Amino acid sequence: MSAAADSLAHAVKEQEEGLLNCVHCGFCLPACPTYRRLGDEADSPRGRLHLMRAVVEGRLDPGSEAFQTHIGRCLGCRACEPVCPSGVEYGNLLELARHVGGEARRLSLLTRLLLRVFGTEWLARPAMFAGRAARATGIPALVTRLLAGSAPPRGPRLGLAMLAASGPMRGLRAAPAGSGSPRPGAAARATVGLLTGCVQAGLFSRVNEATARVLEANGYQIVPVDAQGCCGALHAHAGDLEAARAMARRNVEAFEAAGVDYLAMNASGCGAAMAEYGSLLSHDPAMRDRAAAIAGRVRDVSELLAACGPLRGSAVRMKATWDAPCHLVHAQRVSSPPQTVLDAVPELEVLPLAGATECCGGAGIYGLTHPHLGGWIGGDKVRSVVESGADILVTGNPGCMMQIGAGLRLAGSGVPVLHLVELLDESYRRAGLYHGESDHGNGSRP
Amino acid sequence: MIPGRLTKELARICGRDAVIVDRDRLLVYESDALTAYRHRPGAVVLPRTTEEVRRTVQAVVRHGLPIVPRGAGTGLSGGAVALNGAVVIGTARMNRILAIDAPNRRAVLQPGVINAELSAAAAVYGLYYAPDPSSQTACTIGGNVAENSGGPHCLKYGVTSRYVTGLTVVLADGSVVKAGGQGREAPGYDLAGLFLGSEGCFGIATEIEVGLLPVPEGVRTLLGIFDRIEDAGRAVSDIISAGLLPAAMEIIDGPTIRAVEDSVFAAGYPTDAEAALVIEFDGLEAGLDHEAERATHFCLRAGAREVRSARDEEERLALWKGRKKAFGAMGRIAPDLLVQDATVPRTTLPAILKGISEIGKRYNLIVANVFHAGDGNLHPNILFDRRDRDELERVEHASKEIMQLCVDAGGTITGEHGVGLDKKHHMPLIYGPDELDTMWGIRRVFDPGAVMNPGKVLPEETEPLHANPGQDPASGELVGAPAPA
Repeated sequence: MSAAADSLAHAVKEQEEGLLNCVHCGFCLPACPTYRRLGDEADSPRGRLHLMRAVVEGRLDPGSEAFQTHIGRCLGCRACEPVCPSGVEYGNLLELARHVGGEARRLSLLTRLLLRVFGTEWLARPAMFAGRAARATGIPALVTRLLAGSAPPRGPRLGLAMLAASGPMRGLRAAPAGSGSPRPGAAARATVGLLTGCVQAGLFSRVNEATARVLEANGYQIVPVDAQGCCGALHAHAGDLEAARAMARRNVEAFEAAGVDYLAMNASGCGAAMAEYGSLLSHDPAMRDRAAAIAGRVRDVSELLAACGPLRGSAVRMKATWDAPCHLVHAQRVSSPPQTVLDAVPELEVLPLAGATECCGGAGIYGLTHPHLGGWIGGDKVRSVVESGADILVTGNPGCMMQIGAGLRLAGSGVPVLHLVELLDESYRRAGLYHGESDHGNGSRP
Repeated sequence: MIPGRLTKELARICGRDAVIVDRDRLLVYESDALTAYRHRPGAVVLPRTTEEVRRTVQAVVRHGLPIVPRGAGTGLSGGAVALNGAVVIGTARMNRILAIDAPNRRAVLQPGVINAELSAAAAVYGLYYAPDPSSQTACTIGGNVAENSGGPHCLKYGVTSRYVTGLTVVLADGSVVKAGGQGREAPGYDLAGLFLGSEGCFGIATEIEVGLLPVPEGVRTLLGIFDRIEDAGRAVSDIISAGLLPAAMEIIDGPTIRAVEDSVFAAGYPTDAEAALVIEFDGLEAGLDHEAERATHFCLRAGAREVRSARDEEERLALWKGRKKAFGAMGRIAPDLLVQDATVPRTTLPAILKGISEIGKRYNLIVANVFHAGDGNLHPNILFDRRDRDELERVEHASKEIMQLCVDAGGTITGEHGVGLDKKHHMPLIYGPDELDTMWGIRRVFDPGAVMNPGKVLPEETEPLHANPGQDPASGELVGAPAPA
């Protein structure tokens, strides 16, 4: 038994009770995207938990091919959690297993590189700038169009297509200069700090701006939180718990200092991670309670909007379909608020999407680390979007936007992908709800 | 481990990614949902077609190895556990619905199709597949055929054998036999009937034809709350005696109620109650209210604290989810469980429930009951922690006593979970040598070489001439926690 195995045995010992909750009933199998496609129980949640338990029992080396492959192949979509009668906290156990697996064997170079970039500000800024600059040249979009339909989306082609897909939808207005004005007659609502994030800030600043506008229009007061940083979700998912904890501490302090009522999230992966800061820092007596308090204030932007029965905008005559991000619907169990927000857009026809709650295969950096399986899962999602007959796909997480957007482009489909708040923002803009807008004079202004 | 030559041959037949021989990976196949029995298979093969199954069976048998079929591994009798390094043939990739013939209310499917997904696919035609094991969201129709599975609604609708009208089966010698099909009555001997419930010992079903039913016009679901479980048992017996025919009658006892209410499938059962009785009537709208009123009357007369009626479909589904996910929710009470499956005459339910509770107390074990009361099909779940050797021993004793109690009351050792590994040693409790000899005779017609799921269902020592001295006689024992490496 290696030293790493000892370390796992030690680390997982505390989680043993969590593992023991699994009675092996198998109800999670059909919920798992990898099991459904591969049919191997080692690629099912129950199988992975069994491997984890075997490591704890000293029957399996965490450096073994089996442990590394099958724990590594999990999307981390957590679709197994809502169907588990015993309430096994699979997501936490997975991060721990990856942590231990990573001690037994190093993460791949690509994974380490990407995590380093996301987690380090002075690396992230130039990288995101380079990404935006490349996107602005139009080359990724052109290459993506030229290569459409030639082969399953993976490798550098997927990377380029993802970059192209991170851009705004054509035909959607450029962001208005003004800010959202509070709902007429409504008392000022809670104060909100917005997690600006790493990828959102880098490639989706328009989504951050739209988030602030629609929240303000509904009476929320946005408080800037300057000292914040990357949420650490990708690091935790990859098992780099120390890095994730450092980022969590920084954010807890930053949002505490801002003294906001809520932390607004427009990336469900970040939302799920921050909502679990309490358990991530549970071994840190100085931070535990503070982290749990901050985690308790985390809300997806759709929750904040649904809570105030959002202001209705002007008509957007389109057919839309909603894809539920895993970390929103499975990890945070938020399912109806996005529907409420869609309902606030008059004349928007919302079509059902087959498999709307199944993972798109994006899963953080999965599409890049597991191109074959990620491409397979992504391809199925693209097919169901196309078959839905919708003009636009709406979702709530930048990773999903890039993954599905890239898949659609490479499949030669013209269906654009929008963030939920971008759609609501457009509806509000058409209604003239924002300062500095002069066309459409029907909006109510203070 | 299997010989390298066989690995190569299997990879040629099914593709390299369909053959699992790595010892570590095989760990996940060491048990089904009854984790008390654990044996690592020699290999796992995941074929996609009847032809691949046929050639896989031939190759494995040629190398003198036994075969175990496996669906989703949700079984509760150790039936899919591979003894003596057997090769598992998994049906997870044989998951296509081949045809739904709505006018004739028929469907043809591969064995790996999930039970609930067949009903979901049939729903667009206003049809559904009636047998509804509690594991229906995960278990496969192939597994249902092997176990002749029941479920809550089998009280009115009957078990799997009533719905399977045709089978394509691969036998141990590699022959492909079609039994029944295209309707009901097949002239000659009922091969499909014989195959149903054979627990993988006769062959592997690779295509299954089933009958579908129209979704009932109306449904009424009641929840009776009791302070004593015996009273709930009496209500069940009274309802049946009065000539009512509910679609389902399920009892969930106090410990189970509290585990379920703690889970994401909380159904709104009061946590201070000692029994919840779920009763459902379905069929034509006319008359349903009257039946529900009469059942309510019998519950109150037997001592129910109150009887509620599900107001809408959402409430009804919540009541059922609580019941159907109860087994999984037991993990909240203890890490391991052994579930019994004895069926007793309904009139003896109150006395048996009391007896089970006394056995639990005597051995200092938690016994949680959640069961198909209408059929008298009990599911006492004995909860334990296999790391505790002493407790493990008490579990074995208590389990045997519960079984004996049920048999003495005129019951039988399994209602629907199958015999598998777990109950094969109890078979002599209910069958004499003549019956067992007959069963062995039939088994050897299908499987003369003793290669299909050996070591299951019939205890080896009862086989005439005892043809298999090589079988591991200790395989029917519970497995404790492994010693640390």
